[in-house]
Amino acid sequence: MESPYLEMKHITKLFSKVVANNDVSLHLGKGEVLALLGENGAGKSTIMKVLYGLYHADSGSIRINGEEKKIRSPKDAMALGISMIQQHFSLVPANTVTENIIMGNAHGIIDWKKKEQEIQALAEQYQFDIDAKAYVRDLSVGAQQKVEILKALYQQAKILIMDEPTAVLTPQEIDSLMDFVKSFAAAGNSVVFITHKLREVMEVADRIIVMRNGVLMGSLEKDKTDEKELSRLMVGRELVKTKRDEEQQEKEQADCLVLKNITLKAENEIAKLEDVSFSIKEGEIFGLAGVSENGQQELCEVLSGYKSPTSGTIWFQGEDITQSTIEERISMGIGYVPADRHKFGMVMDMSLSENMLLKSSFKPDWYQHYFIDKKKLNAYTASMIERFDVKASGPDDLARSLSGGNQQKVVVAREVDNGETLIIFDQPTRGLDLGAIQNVHETMFGEKRKGKSVLLISTELSEIFDLCDRIAVIYKGRIQGIYQHTELTTEKIGLLMAGYQEKKEALV
Amino acid sequence: MNSKFRDLLFINALAVLMGLMVSGIVLLFLGENPFYVYATMVQSITSDRYIMAEIFVKTAPLILTSLAFGFAFQANLFNIGAQGQFYVGALIAVSSSLFLQDKLPGVIALVVVFLLTLLGGGLWGAFIGYAKAKYQASEFLVSMMSTYVALAFMNYFLRTFLLETKGEYPQTDPLNPSVWLGILVPNTRLHVGFILSILIAVGIYVLLFKTALGYRIRVVGHNADAAKMAGINEKKIMVITFVISGALAALAGFIEVNGVQHMLVQRFSPGVGAAGIGIAILANAHPIGIIFASILFGALQVGGVMLGQTMGIPSSFVEIMQGSVMIFVIASYFVREQLEKRREKRKLKKVVAA
Amino acid sequence: MTSFLARALMLSTPLLFGATAEVFAQRSGVMITAIEGVFVMGAWAGFVGSYLSGSHLVGLLFAMLAGLLTAALHGWICVYLGQQQVVTGTAINILALGVVAFFHRVIFGVPISPLQVVPLAKIDIPLLSSIPFLGPIFFQQNILTYLMYLMVPVAFFILFRTSIGLSIRSTGENPEAVDVAGINVKRIRFSMVLLAGLVGGLAGSFYSIGYLGMFTTNIIGGRGWIAFAICFLGNWNPIGVLIGTLVFGLAEAVAILMQSSGTGLFPNEFFIALPYIITIILTITRKSFNVPASLGIPYNKEN
Repeated sequence: MESPYLEMKHITKLFSKVVANNDVSLHLGKGEVLALLGENGAGKSTIMKVLYGLYHADSGSIRINGEEKKIRSPKDAMALGISMIQQHFSLVPANTVTENIIMGNAHGIIDWKKKEQEIQALAEQYQFDIDAKAYVRDLSVGAQQKVEILKALYQQAKILIMDEPTAVLTPQEIDSLMDFVKSFAAAGNSVVFITHKLREVMEVADRIIVMRNGVLMGSLEKDKTDEKELSRLMVGRELVKTKRDEEQQEKEQADCLVLKNITLKAENEIAKLEDVSFSIKEGEIFGLAGVSENGQQELCEVLSGYKSPTSGTIWFQGEDITQSTIEERISMGIGYVPADRHKFGMVMDMSLSENMLLKSSFKPDWYQHYFIDKKKLNAYTASMIERFDVKASGPDDLARSLSGGNQQKVVVAREVDNGETLIIFDQPTRGLDLGAIQNVHETMFGEKRKGKSVLLISTELSEIFDLCDRIAVIYKGRIQGIYQHTELTTEKIGLLMAGYQEKKEALV
Repeated sequence: MNSKFRDLLFINALAVLMGLMVSGIVLLFLGENPFYVYATMVQSITSDRYIMAEIFVKTAPLILTSLAFGFAFQANLFNIGAQGQFYVGALIAVSSSLFLQDKLPGVIALVVVFLLTLLGGGLWGAFIGYAKAKYQASEFLVSMMSTYVALAFMNYFLRTFLLETKGEYPQTDPLNPSVWLGILVPNTRLHVGFILSILIAVGIYVLLFKTALGYRIRVVGHNADAAKMAGINEKKIMVITFVISGALAALAGFIEVNGVQHMLVQRFSPGVGAAGIGIAILANAHPIGIIFASILFGALQVGGVMLGQTMGIPSSFVEIMQGSVMIFVIASYFVREQLEKRREKRKLKKVVAA
Repeated sequence: MTSFLARALMLSTPLLFGATAEVFAQRSGVMITAIEGVFVMGAWAGFVGSYLSGSHLVGLLFAMLAGLLTAALHGWICVYLGQQQVVTGTAINILALGVVAFFHRVIFGVPISPLQVVPLAKIDIPLLSSIPFLGPIFFQQNILTYLMYLMVPVAFFILFRTSIGLSIRSTGENPEAVDVAGINVKRIRFSMVLLAGLVGGLAGSFYSIGYLGMFTTNIIGGRGWIAFAICFLGNWNPIGVLIGTLVFGLAEAVAILMQSSGTGLFPNEFFIALPYIITIILTITRKSFNVPASLGIPYNKEN
């Protein structure tokens, strides 16, 4: 057998806290689409960043056409025809499309007109609807990804690595991306497609490599495997769905939260939220499905009081809270688990007990004559650590020292306790391992059983289907419809998420 | 004492030593043996009770200007204008003392002067904090620039309203002994201001780490977005922080005027603000650490003066010592990070090998 | 009037040098908070070089070298060791002042009257200098001011028309993107700091050999910070910086004029403080800053 186009052998990569890759070997052929499948934190991105020269492996070697190559920086990788599109795009928002594409690939004095024409022609060649002169900050996420692809094409990449490219795309954009990948590979190029979504793998890949905890679990031909086998390799056991209990469904419950015609729109900008209305009942898990960046973050900010809506009203337990401050809403018993816990949910350089205090620092319970009651706070934190099974040595641990899953448990613990009436979960399981996901799901069910209302915002359809009583779909800041969970199929919800609206009036 | 804190102490001590060693090199240009010079310095500042007391005299204002920087730093704000707030404090202290010394009994006058200084420094700081909170004006630039404005104010007043009766030099008349801060140790210049600054440092520690306000200040400093999401009014915190920070630096001016100089002269303690920043870095902005780091800088300053007197070494040697100690301490943060990383990695290598 | 404007222009020179130096460094993401130190070192080294060799050229070279070394220390700590830029700058400013004062003593002892060098000569440009009104303002200046005329277009061209300029601008905005594009982020940043040191050193030397012909340790007195502020106020753009510089040059010239003529309406101290007051007012009133997104944030990638 002739040696494969690209080989990575026995790659081990250590970070200061984790073993990212442990003795991983893989190969890639010409014209092949290789899917790298695994959960978050499995080491898929790391191994590819090693290939791209962003990380340096602690041991192992890379061969191209049988010849050993040292890749010290992305520059070396690019010279070998390797290009990588990062999960979080590496574009400069303040620069134009052209500037972004030619950066690192132009020398000396630049003739902008000529370059712009060149880029425009390239975009047209691939039928990308992109203006070479536009500023990247003005582009949609989907268009930004096209800029990233153009960058790779401009460099005449032979090996294209894409890290979770579909996470931010609508189903239609995903389709056209898949088409591009197939045609790009058909032209004799190779693609590595990093993902954690089984469906995509089955659609696009020729061969699939599954990784778990930094270790390679298997390399399979697509035609000789199925989703079941892949998922078993990926998570280490069959996926068990958390059981919902239906007994409460019949009772008619009072509304806990009501949104009426909420619009959020900055001047001279398109509306982030437009005429959003829905209500959540007591003891209900209400799901909000949608592709990310369609207004979910803004909705959370409006609900938590971080931003005021441009128009519309919010009612909570029969009271108008549209003008209430964040503090007042917290006191009313609204908990909020933000999607970006690093930014909004935690203070990484503070201890766990100080993080538990975060949302209730204004409540007198924690003070004795204005001084923080450290004893009480620590005892409380210790009890929460135990109740939510947080792996930490104690309340004085720095939040930073915990793994992502355990950090999330701390946030969930705090918000579930503070949110005595309503808890908003925004992407609560993103980046968590299966055990942690199950823990969060069970917490949600538990709180529901206590009669609390839950708003679950998620881009993972399986999560929405498994947990929610009713489901709303959001697209470009508008609610596409509200449905009983039994009314929806994956196909139907997919269309709604892509902006197709049903003719008939949706049931509320 | 946990291992990280031990690391911090040990590596910081090492950095200080290395900073002193490197600054010792410049002594070679004077034909002096650095070790001999340092030995002389240590000997001269420990030989005499008066001189030892001088160390603490120098330490007192340093504690306060350093707290001014360190306190704001906890909120992730840069108050690099402590020098200016120090001038403002000195100016208010001297003018209110001159005004009140004949009208009120000493202690009451001192209390009023103290409060007025706090108020003045607080307002000066409030302006900077407000500009930051309301107009997103870089507090770094505004505080830096306001120092030069404060200096101009001081020089103007010294030349005009506050000019001494003789009218010879741009300086004030001496204060009545009734408004001097009391002497702690007889036959030295060590005054009550030293105790005051230590008490204030402890107070700032309690404020920062034991109270709701301090907690909120630190939350804003570590993560302003999370603070806002937790209902903390970030802008209010900014202003409050700068009020306190400005008041702290102004107090340094008060204790220098009423405790040591007993008058206000031109070119008054020009390095006290910058040294405060260095001390805060050395102490990792921790109020209790600041007390000890200030004593170190105080000792260096007194040592520098002594070296000038006994060996004719230029006083600028003090700045070289302070500057290089600061640089080595800053670099030591990098060393600590690297050591920590390497330690973690070594642990993992064992896991992988197993 | 012409001599007043000529002086304003002359006094703008070092500020423009310093602010442009900051533009390049800050566009790449590093604030040269050690700018006071760079200025002081440049002023002193320029003086020493000129005084000892009798040649201004040697002085200018000394100044550039001193600025370079000072900035290199700043760059090494901030870029390669990834430490806090504000505190590092403060440390270097203290150190630089100490070093300058110390070695001035070591070399010259304590002279009875301040040592002097002949300031940089005014060069009359033939023909141009005889244009009425404009000639004496623009074309009877010293070599550094002529260099200033070139600096704005050159800086603008480099930043916006060349590939290196694109890399510099991108590094200050999103260093990850630059890294992914195969460009060495730290190298870009460090080179910009070095460049700023060279130019900043020259700027400092203007105060000693370009203008006063002497050196004192308080010769800079916060003008480095003004240059730093102008970079902010000029929106990190060479043209904005030019406008800012001229305003400040004018303010300084007014201050000098008022001090010498002494109208009595305002005290001298007001004019001394004027540039700083203007900076504060502008910092507060100036809207929509175009701050480079990663300004002041070290790029520390674990690899």
